[in-house]
Amino acid sequence: MPNDLFSKNYFEIFEIPVAFDVDLSKVGDAYRELQKEVHPDKFVNESEQQRRIAMQLTSLINEALKTIEEPILRAQYLLKLKGIDMESDTDTSMDAAFLMEQMEFRETIAEVRGKDDPLHELDQMTAELKQKLKALTNDFQKHYSDSSLKQARDAIRKMQFIIKAQKEVDEISEQLEDELI
Amino acid sequence: MALLQIAEPGQSTRPHEHKLAVGIDLGTTNSLVATVRSGVTETLPDEDGNHLLPSIVRYTEDDVVVGFKAKVNSVDDPQNTIVSVKRLMGRGIEDLKTLGEQLPYQFVDSDSSVPKIKTVAGNKTAMEVSAEILKKLKQRSENTLGDELVGAVITVPAYFDDAQRQATKDAAKLANLKVLRLLNEPTAAAVAYGLDSAQEGVIAVYDLGGGTFDISILRLTKGVFEVLATGGDSALGGDDFDHAIAEWVITQSGIKNSELNSSSIRLLMQEACTAKEALSEIDEVELNIELGDNQKWFGLLNRETFNELVDPLIKKSLMSCRRALRDAKIDREDIHDVVMVGGSTRMLRVRELVGDFFLHEPLVSIDPDRVVAIGAATQANALAGNNPDGDMLLLDVLPLSLGIETMGGLTEKIIHRNTPIPVSRAQDFTTYKDGQTAMSIHVVQGERELVTDCRSLAKFELRGFPPQVAGAARIRVSFQVDADGLLHVTAREETSGVEAHVEVKPSYGLSDSEIETMLRDSMEHAVEDKGLRNLREMQVEADRVIEALDAAIADDGDSMLEADEKNSILEARAVLVDARANATDEQLVKQAMESLEKASANYVARRMNASVQTSMAGHKVEEFSSEESEK
Repeated sequence: MPNDLFSKNYFEIFEIPVAFDVDLSKVGDAYRELQKEVHPDKFVNESEQQRRIAMQLTSLINEALKTIEEPILRAQYLLKLKGIDMESDTDTSMDAAFLMEQMEFRETIAEVRGKDDPLHELDQMTAELKQKLKALTNDFQKHYSDSSLKQARDAIRKMQFIIKAQKEVDEISEQLEDELI
Repeated sequence: MALLQIAEPGQSTRPHEHKLAVGIDLGTTNSLVATVRSGVTETLPDEDGNHLLPSIVRYTEDDVVVGFKAKVNSVDDPQNTIVSVKRLMGRGIEDLKTLGEQLPYQFVDSDSSVPKIKTVAGNKTAMEVSAEILKKLKQRSENTLGDELVGAVITVPAYFDDAQRQATKDAAKLANLKVLRLLNEPTAAAVAYGLDSAQEGVIAVYDLGGGTFDISILRLTKGVFEVLATGGDSALGGDDFDHAIAEWVITQSGIKNSELNSSSIRLLMQEACTAKEALSEIDEVELNIELGDNQKWFGLLNRETFNELVDPLIKKSLMSCRRALRDAKIDREDIHDVVMVGGSTRMLRVRELVGDFFLHEPLVSIDPDRVVAIGAATQANALAGNNPDGDMLLLDVLPLSLGIETMGGLTEKIIHRNTPIPVSRAQDFTTYKDGQTAMSIHVVQGERELVTDCRSLAKFELRGFPPQVAGAARIRVSFQVDADGLLHVTAREETSGVEAHVEVKPSYGLSDSEIETMLRDSMEHAVEDKGLRNLREMQVEADRVIEALDAAIADDGDSMLEADEKNSILEARAVLVDARANATDEQLVKQAMESLEKASANYVARRMNASVQTSMAGHKVEEFSSEESEK
């Protein structure tokens, strides 16, 4: 078993360059090849210890895939490799204009239930949020490649807000679906 | 066996290289077992030719009856005849009260958190009852295949939580059956179709059974099955369609609800079910309802009206599909195929609407009742190592989020649903009081905000970490979910490095000692089962001996044997034939076989000499050694 995976970073695990731009289809192929090697199903008839290592390796690869696949997690992970750990960050200052815009957007979400075709409205919001997320992702990439890590971190923070808003949109969609059932 | 040693080189029976593994669909109503034989995956029938085994277990004072024979008694001996035990798996007494209907069994209070059903044969847990079904299927497989199983893949509904999965594993343990893997039913169905067509792309598995609906979205890439999302509705199934028709009949006929008793309701539901099935073949069905003297009604139900009745139910299932697609981050257009599972997908209207929704004609070529067992067998065969070239791999996801209880009875999710498994996550906790040396953690599973709306999996105590000021301790609790979707927990206090003592008490599972006791209890039966198998094996052996002897005598019996020698061999043969047919104890067959062996020992020796001389004549020794090494 490739035990050395335990000491690699997530990019190295899938043998791709440490960068924001990733070829996800290549990552998917590498992921599946690795799984074929380490998945516990390949060790059904082996010792308890072997099976435990297989389980841990598979867990690691799953975690790595999730991090690489999700742009925001990937961005955070890139900063972490540069020494900026956002999980233990205490400085949480935010751009006031952006915060204002977010609050307004939240209000729109809250009022969507009264609309004629709320599911359609929600679909449109999703499209809008997608676009914003894309712009912020571009910001992050620019700052990251310029090594302006603080600005890169701010872009991620904004992305977190957008993702949270998307989550609310999804939740309301689910609730409406439940009510329509 | 001496007589067999004279077989020509290359003709002797070689040890089994094919490891016997089966797939088991342990269903609510019926169960099935399937295996791969000579490259073909098929379900195995019992001696009467029935593939389905009704999941019904009846206890009598000195026996356990499973399947059709137990079904006969479900009406007149309901308290000892356990049906639909799957619905009780992994459930606590409190859950049983909320199952919504009157169960005919008497539950006994016990120290254990696991409810026990009172039967004439003693108190039985759901795991023990399920184990009887598994034992029956195991026995069927071993009888059919003639050897012991290395293990089984058992399927579970995708929505099964940790407690229900654990209960299924415990049942297998009680049945002395090694579980190679617990497999989600929809995944199994996809495997059944996937291997046939060796396709690539995203597929949806639409599973509509009698009482539950499941949807799974999977991606197939180069032999790897990835479950992207699962969803469903545990209270939607074919029975609801029958209900809808029955209610329509009641409205149309003016039969009053108050005049219906339980047997007339059952009759009405049967009529409804028949009408439902007929409407997949014909456009209009006659309903001739006769519930009593003054409750007769005749009417016609056409397909159009029928569709109006059932469409809301089918659309409800499509809402779950919509959600599963979103969870999987897949658009409808990206779906390559739709696999149909469960008896209710035989309904034309279901196929139509599902086809419209996914923009694809659904796949229906494999019997929707057998497709799960067939997929499970395929996976079992691969896991047993019978398919070294095939690199099929199933990557599953966690069906329901795992979380812990936080302040105010709220749930904090630690691992979200649809996360690929195995997966591990660690969470840090701290103390809230000075000098605190212990804390308790409550693990729950489910999507709801409130702990009381989720399923309680385990409560455990962390003890023995050094006293510190509040908030200083850092207790890291690691959650590990394995490939079967089962949770394991470990904990450690990080600042002191002390491994906290973890006491996991599964809320509705069995403790190891309980399993041990049950295993001991079931030993008596196991001895019987084992005796039967040994007898069967000995009988097969006897058949081989007799066959080999007959062939030898026909070949050279007259030339190599004196008349009295031949007679004593034939006498011993007759004793063995009798023992093989009538003995209930394998020892008698064995003794008869040994007597025959003794009687024919000289004959065997003579034949062997002759055989060696003939085959070596005109050959060199080297030729034999090279022949040997080629084998």
